Amino acid sequence: MILEHALDFKRWHRWLYVAWFNFVVTYRKTTLGPFWLLAGPALFIVILGGLYSHVNGVETDIFIPHLAIGVILWTLIGGFVTKSTTVYQRNRAQILQGSMTLIEITVVDIISIVLQFVHQLLIAVVVFIVYSHQLSWYAFVSLIGIAILVANGFWLSIVFGIIGARYRDLNQIIAAVMRVAFLATPIIWMATSTRGQAMGIYLLINPFYHFLEIVRAPLLGMSISMTSWIVVLTMTIGGFILANEMHKRFARLVPLWV
Amino acid sequence: MTELAPKTTSGTTTDAVVAQPVPLVEAKNLALRIPIFKANDRSIKISPLRLLTDLYFGRTKRAVATLLEDVSFKVHHGERLGLIGSNGAGKSTLLRVLAGIYTPSGGKLTVRGSAKGLFDVSMGMLQDATGLENIYMRGLQMGLNFDEIKELIPGIVEFTELDDAIEKPFNTYSSGMRLRLAVSISTMVEPDILLLDEWLGAGDARFSTKVQDRMNALVEKSRGLVIATHNENLMRNLCTHGLVLSKGKVLYCGELDEALAVYKDHGEQDAPAKLDGRQRGASAG
Repeated sequence: MILEHALDFKRWHRWLYVAWFNFVVTYRKTTLGPFWLLAGPALFIVILGGLYSHVNGVETDIFIPHLAIGVILWTLIGGFVTKSTTVYQRNRAQILQGSMTLIEITVVDIISIVLQFVHQLLIAVVVFIVYSHQLSWYAFVSLIGIAILVANGFWLSIVFGIIGARYRDLNQIIAAVMRVAFLATPIIWMATSTRGQAMGIYLLINPFYHFLEIVRAPLLGMSISMTSWIVVLTMTIGGFILANEMHKRFARLVPLWV
Repeated sequence: MTELAPKTTSGTTTDAVVAQPVPLVEAKNLALRIPIFKANDRSIKISPLRLLTDLYFGRTKRAVATLLEDVSFKVHHGERLGLIGSNGAGKSTLLRVLAGIYTPSGGKLTVRGSAKGLFDVSMGMLQDATGLENIYMRGLQMGLNFDEIKELIPGIVEFTELDDAIEKPFNTYSSGMRLRLAVSISTMVEPDILLLDEWLGAGDARFSTKVQDRMNALVEKSRGLVIATHNENLMRNLCTHGLVLSKGKVLYCGELDEALAVYKDHGEQDAPAKLDGRQRGASAG
């Protein structure tokens, strides 16, 4: 079972260190270091926040927190999805030296992405303070949402990692899909506004929307629809079964493909 | 020893070494077949325009490549097995199978103890990280704890002779420094069964002897060794047994001298004329 390996807590401190090293070294030569992670979303919110709240016809103190959390979460989701396609190719050395197993590589990659996300949370904190956004106890539900989201990132990395190792096309396809998905998901628009409702049924079949909702809605004090929970939990369970099956069948071929 | 030799040559075995009851490595009819996707038959030789047409319309065919077939051998405690064969015979593939990187698609492999290999030691370094950070990083990846690595650091720094440079980024190192660091990092973990794809030891002459010593120490400490090398002298010095591979199949397995002789005969008989020179050159060192 893939989960058994991933939850081997004796190894977790090693994985955390490796992910931490990767994270730190990435920004070694830049002056601002990991603050660059904040620059992208911050620019987006500062420059486009006002415009899009106007376009949507929503007050900025409602729209900007919605946008800020959306953009940060999208970076996390997008990171999981796009990086998953190359996870094994990027760690070719570790695979061919036999120093790390595929599961270990996957977990380390996920931790690195989560570290970036934790960094970017700073933006949400600033936005919440600026707009004096009140959080209720209900907001803690989003921690459960985050946990589910990260778990999904894990199985997705295994599935896409294996397919991506064999078919390099996947990386290109995913990059194209994610650009469209960003606009098709209520980040720079709101599902509740009259204009947003034009998406209609497409919103329901957009899995990104449901994953976004289980984290964002509690923070904004909105309720999560039952549909979102059902979609998310079904995908989690189905995904783990799929990942487990694929790992069992194709893991032995990955070293030959990378 | 009796068990190491294949049945057909069992008459040549000696009674000098008492066979251990439990071999360290036991491979039985190992096979590695992988589905591959062959590129189009029509090649660039026909027309350079093929490069363009294949880019858009290139179709690949499914095929099965046999990397190893029916490989059987045993390595007992204290035995050192040399893998002999021309380029592409499957030596490196077999080593990676023993290390558990490739999973055999057929047959049975039993490895008792930890089997680790020194493959592509220079790969997987973080270019922007310092030497010290690379030691930690690779050590953690290889399964050592933070504290265990801390203890090993002074020894490594001394061995690499990097001194203060250990705090400088890896991409500022000269090629000699890089190799020294790579070697010392890769030899941090001492495995029960050592797998070597070619003997390490380049860089400047002084360091080369140091690497030799390190490698020899590693070999002495290991309980078993499997090495693939084209260097015949080295193999004679190091190995007790030889396994001759050709196109993924075992030609001979047993005494080293005999194995080397088999390899030479085989090279003369089967190798295509144009490849012969290269094989000769390679086996001579």
